Amino acid sequence: MKPAILDQLMTEAQAILSGPSRRSDFPKWFRDQQHGAWSKFQTMPMPNRKDQPWRFSNVDLLDLSQFKLGAPITDNDRIEILERSRALEQVAGRLVFADDQLLQRDVLSEDLQRKGVVFQPLERAMVEHTDLFRKYFMSEPATLGSAKFAALHHSWVSSGTFVFVPRGVEIEFPIEIFHWLSGENSAVFPHLLLVADELAKVTVIEHFRSQDRQLPGFACGVNDLISGPGAKITYVCAQNWGENVIALQINSTKADHDAAAKSLNLHLGGKYSRFESLSRLIGEGARSDLLAVSVSDGNQEFDARTLQDHVSPHTASDLLYKNALKGRSRNTFGGLIRVEPHAHFTDAYQKVRNLLLDDDAEANSMPGLEILADNVKCSHGATSGQIDADEMFYLRSRGITPAIAQQLIVKGFLNEVIERLEQPAIADYLRGLIDEKFSRAK
Amino acid sequence: MKTETSAVDINRNIGDFSYDVTHAYDAGTGLSEKTIHYISDVKQDPDWVREFRLKALKTFLEKPMPTHWASKDLEAIDFDKIRYYLSGGTQAKRTWEEVPEDVKRTFERLGIPEQERKFLAGVEAQFDSEAVYSNIKKAVGEQGVIFVGSAEGLKEHPEIFRKWFGKVIPTGDNKFSALNSAVFSGGSFIYVPPGVKVKHPLQAYFRINAENFGQFERTLIIVDEGAELTYMEGCTAPKFNTATLHSAVVELVAMKDAKIQYITVQNWSANVFNLVTKRGLAHENAEVKWIDCNIGSRLTMKYPGVIMKGRKARGEVLSIALANDGQHQDTGAKMVHAADETTSNIISKSISIGTGRATYRGLVHVPKHLKNCKNNTECDALLINSTSRTDTYPAITVRGTGNAVQHEASVSQVSAEQIFYMQQRGLSKAQAMSLSVNGFVNDLVRQFPMEYSVELKRLIELEMEGSVG
Amino acid sequence: MDENWRGNLPQIAARKTGKSRYSFVPLFMNELNIQNLRVEIADREIVRGLSLTVPCGEVHAIMGPNGSGKSTLAKVLAGHPDYHVTGGAVTMDGENVLELEPDERARHGLFLAFQYPSEVPGVTIANFLRAAVQARMPEGEELEATDYYAKLYEKMELLGMDRSFTSRSVNEGFSGGEKKRTEILQLAMLEPKYAVLDETDSGLDIDALKTVAHGVNSLRGPNLGILLITHYQRLLNYIVPDHVHVMVAGRIVRSGRKELALELEERGYDWTREEAGEMAVR
Repeated sequence: MKPAILDQLMTEAQAILSGPSRRSDFPKWFRDQQHGAWSKFQTMPMPNRKDQPWRFSNVDLLDLSQFKLGAPITDNDRIEILERSRALEQVAGRLVFADDQLLQRDVLSEDLQRKGVVFQPLERAMVEHTDLFRKYFMSEPATLGSAKFAALHHSWVSSGTFVFVPRGVEIEFPIEIFHWLSGENSAVFPHLLLVADELAKVTVIEHFRSQDRQLPGFACGVNDLISGPGAKITYVCAQNWGENVIALQINSTKADHDAAAKSLNLHLGGKYSRFESLSRLIGEGARSDLLAVSVSDGNQEFDARTLQDHVSPHTASDLLYKNALKGRSRNTFGGLIRVEPHAHFTDAYQKVRNLLLDDDAEANSMPGLEILADNVKCSHGATSGQIDADEMFYLRSRGITPAIAQQLIVKGFLNEVIERLEQPAIADYLRGLIDEKFSRAK
Repeated sequence: MKTETSAVDINRNIGDFSYDVTHAYDAGTGLSEKTIHYISDVKQDPDWVREFRLKALKTFLEKPMPTHWASKDLEAIDFDKIRYYLSGGTQAKRTWEEVPEDVKRTFERLGIPEQERKFLAGVEAQFDSEAVYSNIKKAVGEQGVIFVGSAEGLKEHPEIFRKWFGKVIPTGDNKFSALNSAVFSGGSFIYVPPGVKVKHPLQAYFRINAENFGQFERTLIIVDEGAELTYMEGCTAPKFNTATLHSAVVELVAMKDAKIQYITVQNWSANVFNLVTKRGLAHENAEVKWIDCNIGSRLTMKYPGVIMKGRKARGEVLSIALANDGQHQDTGAKMVHAADETTSNIISKSISIGTGRATYRGLVHVPKHLKNCKNNTECDALLINSTSRTDTYPAITVRGTGNAVQHEASVSQVSAEQIFYMQQRGLSKAQAMSLSVNGFVNDLVRQFPMEYSVELKRLIELEMEGSVG
Repeated sequence: MDENWRGNLPQIAARKTGKSRYSFVPLFMNELNIQNLRVEIADREIVRGLSLTVPCGEVHAIMGPNGSGKSTLAKVLAGHPDYHVTGGAVTMDGENVLELEPDERARHGLFLAFQYPSEVPGVTIANFLRAAVQARMPEGEELEATDYYAKLYEKMELLGMDRSFTSRSVNEGFSGGEKKRTEILQLAMLEPKYAVLDETDSGLDIDALKTVAHGVNSLRGPNLGILLITHYQRLLNYIVPDHVHVMVAGRIVRSGRKELALELEERGYDWTREEAGEMAVR
């Protein structure tokens, strides 16, 4: 176990609105980028509810003035966090970050290293894999509303993961990354740069957690997920931040010829959690599956924006989002299927289902289509409803209490999405997190 | 009775299809307080209307163009070049022979009687629609129904008019409802007393023809408790020589147990911006149904809505849009559930041909603590060519348990196999195509009144003719 | 084509061969004639020099194993745009069929009963057939609705179809049997000179097959030539052909009387493949 890498500048907490990062150990070209990103962040306006990408969003929650970089993690915290950083039984590699400081790195097997698989913190990739890094790092502009926050991320990013899977290499077990928020009002900027070369296969799961579930915090992550020709990538996000965390996650996926990209986002934590997912199908035969599950309660607000962008003909995408809403929670889904001109023979689907469990819960759905090619098969559907009374009655007639009956029904409702992942171990783990959320609520 | 009326603004840019008309009253181009005073003076508005207009003008000028969500094409409207009020024109002297051949052919294909054709082509200002109108007026008048122009309505029946005018659609609802509120003229005012079921549909066509085609019409319809009304607006014949901007406001009020069905077939010529706000207010157990067909215009933006204010109120929008080369049909529906057990239904079918673009925008709103509200939305788009475009942008908000909302949309095209199959039965490619398109809209058209569905089918055939190579 | 050979021209017709050479062949006014036809789809040759003549008034059956090109032949005759004719000729009563659009072929009297008929959502059978019948009438002439419906109901009765059927959308949600029956109804209504029935028996149970066969048999006569395409001999028990042809690998490898079908049923298709192989060697 290696000690955390501490930056001398971090001994004093630095407010994130005083950016950009002053880390001196990055290459100059990257520091220049960070300065550029910071001026961009400063010039761009804060989101407004009248902006279409922020329609229905509670933008008032995005006051960042209180957030700062975390203080160095103490030894006690480090031990506690590492003890709690357990999720899957079998993994190919593991990284643990807390307040953007790397606490632990379980390296890949020698076999995978020999095959050329790279799994390392971002700052090393900048130096050791400069070309790949520069080619793919934030290469896709954030077009779903959060360009300003992507710039903020760029100017502050200091922790993150670079995964490169060479041609034809298949990694059996998932790679696991933990991001913890530890200190009060800490801000983190997690980044994952995942590049799967031709015919490679890899699964990465990220866990987002708070050491203290009550402490406020801010997370602003960006992921670049690249699926090369014929490659298969699976990305799972298990978002379980504490109750007072404001979180933004901006993901961009690129699927080349015959590539497959599958993602599943589980949203359980946070006060406001926004998730933007851009999936571009750039090569013929590419396929993208976008899955998401959320359970919200209290005053939680989840906000998902997606774009299935079909650039090449003969591409397919399928989105399935299911949300269960309790208490006074709100959920917003804004999704678009866009079939670019000439992207004929596209199959694109989008389905959102909201299950409202309490009278003050609110679901907003904006499923959209923009079709500029023909010979396409596209459809979308959005439903909002509640538990079927007959179904409820049936369970109660078997002696099950209403609360348990509701849980069973909700879990069954969400399970369809989790099963689509076709990864039993991860599915079990995600179901466990959902159970935990339900038991926490009691 | 006036015999010469042509208050239509003439677009002088469409070449051979423009001609000179002189008007007794002309507010000139551009829009300012002066324009408003001019209109109010000419129309001898009561003071409250003048003030209403002036306030609306301010709102209009303050509001930005909605280009942050709508088409940038709106920027092509030059408000300074528009004439906001014209009336008392002298009729152009033009003969049937001068009407372009393609226009005549269109009329012929639509089976419009010769007399009407001449009128529609702007050759004759009036045939006997004045007579038809007075007959209708007399027949329904016996039942106590008021069916007059909005100008007459606000003067003669202020006690009903003022109560509802601008209440369903407030001036500031959007930039164009504000514009209409500032410069409105023309349109209908209808009041149906309690329990009266108006047997035959009232047609705006005859009344408006007897008066003027309004650019900024304002229609207000109030159907009192337990009464029923069907109103038809527009006709399938293309309207030529009209202004480049048409911006109407239509407000419907259905009192307890009342039923209103409002049917529109819009076929403006391809240079017209058609930016219309239409909304109905449905009280307890009332029903408001919009049947909306958009065939013509350059850009149409129209989202008929129903606010279901009373328990068990129902709202419905059935819409067909056909976007041909260079056209953008931006249509949809707005359903606001504001009481328990309200139900709404939206069915939208669009067809995009050539470079045409059809957009569906929908809003469904079920706010908190309501029970047993239901909405069903289906929108299907058909793409004919690889250059055609279709978009769907619904926004659905649901709060609480006990409500059910579902939205479904699909995009399809006429398959090559389907066309081949029909060709094998002896139909030409164009016939096969138009049969397919008619099949696509068929289940919806079947819900329309007979005469409209027949005309609509013929119109679709006509539009499809040029679409296959 | 630079000339248009039509109607009652002299008993000869010009045929343009692949080598752009004109030869004069006798014209048989009343037959569907296929000469040395070659067809490709996506650069793969499916029909490889097929010749066949179906005189008006006769029923010919083409049998063959899967993949022999039978269905391709049917689609090519009807003018499906996916198939590319690389050689040979097809004439109908002396007229060059290959240069006609699919709908022109149909109006000239060629009917194809599809193996997989397309759905035409929202268009009722009554309206669809009416448009098809109207398309065959001289310009300016309107189809009399009462006559049309009288005929339609008569033909439906023949096929044991309920009248309510006419208000259903063409093939939409139809069972296999309903689809095939609808194809035969159209055949009856459109009165072609030549009908190609592509696997009309596939997917039918014995009762449905009998009904369909009964319909076809009732249309047999001196003014209709029928080309039955089938994999199974079973259909030929009910629609007895005048001639049977065996198609293998894109060609007719054997022709004979109706007994040939029974022989095929007994011996399978393997021996015909061998013969085809031998032919290729020779």
